[in-house]
Amino acid sequence: MKDMSSWSRRKFLAAAVMTGTVAGLSACSGAAPTARTFDDWAQVSDQARGQTVKLWMYGGDQQGNTYIDQHLVPAAAEVGVKLERVPVADTKDAMNRVLSEVQAGTTDGAVDLVWVNGDNFGTGKQAGAWACGWTSLLPNMALTAPQDPLLTNDFGTPVEDCEAPWNKAQFTVVYNAATVERPPGSIAELLQWARKNPGRFTYPAPPDFTGSVFTRQVLNSVSGGYENVPLAFDRSAYEDLTPALFDAMSEVAPALWREGRTYPKSGEELNALFADGQVDFTMTYGPATLTKLVKDGTYPPQTTVLELDGGTLGNASFLAVPATSGNQAGAMVVANIALSAEQQATKADPRIWGQFPVVSAERLDHRQQQLFEALPTSSVVPAYEVLSRKANPELSAEWVSELDQGWRRELLGGK
Amino acid sequence: MAVILPAPAESRKEATRNGLFASRRLGRWGRWLLVLAMTVWFLAPLLPLALWFFAERWSFPGILPQEWGTGAVQEALAQGAVPAFGRSLGVALAVMAVATPMGLLAARAFAFHRPHGAGFLSALVFAPLALPPFAAAFGLNVLFLRLHLPPMFGIVLVLAVYALPYTTFTLRVAYGAYECGFEDEARMLGASRWRVLSRVHLPLLAPALMRAAFLAFLVGWSDYVVTLLVGGGTLVTVPLLVASAAAGTGNDAMLSVLSVTAVLPPLVLLLGAAIHTRRRLGVRS
Repeated sequence: MKDMSSWSRRKFLAAAVMTGTVAGLSACSGAAPTARTFDDWAQVSDQARGQTVKLWMYGGDQQGNTYIDQHLVPAAAEVGVKLERVPVADTKDAMNRVLSEVQAGTTDGAVDLVWVNGDNFGTGKQAGAWACGWTSLLPNMALTAPQDPLLTNDFGTPVEDCEAPWNKAQFTVVYNAATVERPPGSIAELLQWARKNPGRFTYPAPPDFTGSVFTRQVLNSVSGGYENVPLAFDRSAYEDLTPALFDAMSEVAPALWREGRTYPKSGEELNALFADGQVDFTMTYGPATLTKLVKDGTYPPQTTVLELDGGTLGNASFLAVPATSGNQAGAMVVANIALSAEQQATKADPRIWGQFPVVSAERLDHRQQQLFEALPTSSVVPAYEVLSRKANPELSAEWVSELDQGWRRELLGGK
Repeated sequence: MAVILPAPAESRKEATRNGLFASRRLGRWGRWLLVLAMTVWFLAPLLPLALWFFAERWSFPGILPQEWGTGAVQEALAQGAVPAFGRSLGVALAVMAVATPMGLLAARAFAFHRPHGAGFLSALVFAPLALPPFAAAFGLNVLFLRLHLPPMFGIVLVLAVYALPYTTFTLRVAYGAYECGFEDEARMLGASRWRVLSRVHLPLLAPALMRAAFLAFLVGWSDYVVTLLVGGGTLVTVPLLVASAAAGTGNDAMLSVLSVTAVLPPLVLLLGAAIHTRRRLGVRS
C-alpha cells in the first residue's frame, strides 16, 4: 500500500514486534519476573545508596535533558544514587529493550526507569514488564491528590501502583496571531476556519501521537462534548459516533495543506511547517516546549495558545520501573525525588522546562506553596489552571488504536 | 605525382567544417555541465547545514540567520557530544577490525576455493542486506541477555555481520582481478610464504582492503538500533544523540553541529585512503 510510506517503517515494525512479543508473553505470563518487595521506605533508601539508575527518556526536548542533567542528577547524587540519562528517539525503543529483557528473564536489566504513559505503559503492564506495588511507599506521593483521575488512570489503564506520576500535560493548539486575525474558539470553528483558508491548516497523520490526539479531540467535538464519548471502548459507540467524525475530517481534507493529499508524518513535521510559516496552526501535547521555541525564534513571536470552548484533552506522564531492573530501590528513590515539591517547582519553571506539576496545591505546606507562587509565568503558555479548564479525560488505549485504524481506512483508503 | 597532404591545422579546420569535432565539443560542454550539476547536487544540501552550524537565531522568513554564534556547539557539548564521539569511534573501529579480515577470508574462499554450496553460502553472507537490523537486534537480544554477553561484545558481533556483505563483496571483486602469477613469481624467487603475504598479496589488495575497511567503519559509525537495543543504553553514541535530537522541534542548529562533525571521521578516512593510494601509484610509476 502506498500510504505505508507515510509512516516510519521502523516504528511500524517496532510496534508489530512489540505486539508479537506481548502475545507470546501472555501465553506464558508466569515467566515474567516479579518485583522485589520492600517493607518500608527506610529499607528502600538504604538499598538505593550506591546504585546506578539508568533513566530512558525521549531525548528530543533539550530543556528536558538539561533539567535532568542539571537538577535531578545532582539531587539524586545527594542521597547516593547515580542517575544516568539514556536519550531515545521514541519511548518504544526503551519498551523494546525492556520486553527483550522480560523475555530473557533478566534480573539486572539495563533499564531502571522509563518516562512513559499511554499505550507504552499499557503494553508493558500487559506483559508484566513493570514493577508494581511500590508507588505507595514513596513519601512524596502524599503531595498528590489520591483521587485525581489523571493519576489513577493512564489512558484507561489503571495505574495500580505500577508507575509514579511525574508531569501533567494538556493538549494545546497554537496559532500565529500575526496571520490569523480572528482565531477560532472551538474545534468546530477551527475546522471551519481551515475550510475558509485553504492550505493554511493540517494535522499529523494518525497513528502519530499528536495526530491521534487531534482525531480524538475532533471526536469529542462532533459528539457534542466529551461527556458523550464513553471512556472505555465500546463497539456500538464507535459505530454511532465515528461516521460524524470521519465525515468532518473528510470534508475539511481538500482545504488542508497540499489539498489533504498528504499529511505531516509527525508532530515534529507539523511544527516545522508552522515554524516556516507554511501553516498558521500547530498542536502539541507538550506545551512546555512553547516558551523556549518562541524565545529562540523557532516559532514566530506572536505564537499564541488557542482558547477552545470545549476544553482539551489532558493526561499525565509517569516514571515506571521495569520488573527486570536490578536497581529498583535506586529507581524508586529517583522517582520520589522527582515528585518532591522542590523538583516539581523547578521543573515547572518555564525558563527551565515548564512541565506542569502533578502535586496538588492543597496538599503542600506554606513553604512548598511559595515555591510555586514564586515561579515566573510563561509569556506564551497560560497557567495549568487556565489551560486545563474543562479538561477532557483521555479515552482508553483501545479507542486510540481503533480510531487510528479508522482514520487510515476512511481518510486514506479512498485514494 | 606528389600527393599533397593537407597541413594538420588545415585538416582540423576541414574536419570542423565537416562537423567531425562538433559532437566532441558538445560532449566536452556536456561533461562540464554534468560536473557542475553534480557539484551543486552534492554541495547544495550541505549549505544550510553549514549555515545552521553558526546560527544563533534563524527564523522564517529570513534567508540567512538573523544572529550568529556558537551556541549550538555549546548545546551539543552539553548533550554529551564529546564522549558520544569517542564511543562511536570505538564501535566503528571495532566493527572495522572484525569485519575486514572476516570479509577477506570469505572473499578468498569464494574466489579461489569454490566451496560446496557456494550459492547458498554467498546468499547467507549477503542476507543481512535484506534483513532489517531491527529484526536481528530484537531477536538476538534475548539470546544475548540469556548468555549474559557484555553489551559491547554483542554490538560489535551483530554489526560485524551487517558489515560483512560489504567487505566480502568489495574484496571478492578485488580477488576477481587478482593475478596469482605475482605470488608464484615471488615464491620462485625464494620469498617465504609470510613474505609473499606481506610484500605481494596484501599490497596488491591494499586499495580494496581500504575500501572494505571504510565501509565496515561506516556500518559501525552510523548504527542506531543495534547500539541502543543490544547495548542497552550503555553506549550513547553520536547516532543516538542525533536521532533523539531529530525527534524534537527547534534542535536544527545542534543537529547540524552533530551531523557536520559526524561526517568528519569518515571523510578523514576517505581522504587518507585516497592520498595513500595516490602515493603508492606515484612510487610505482
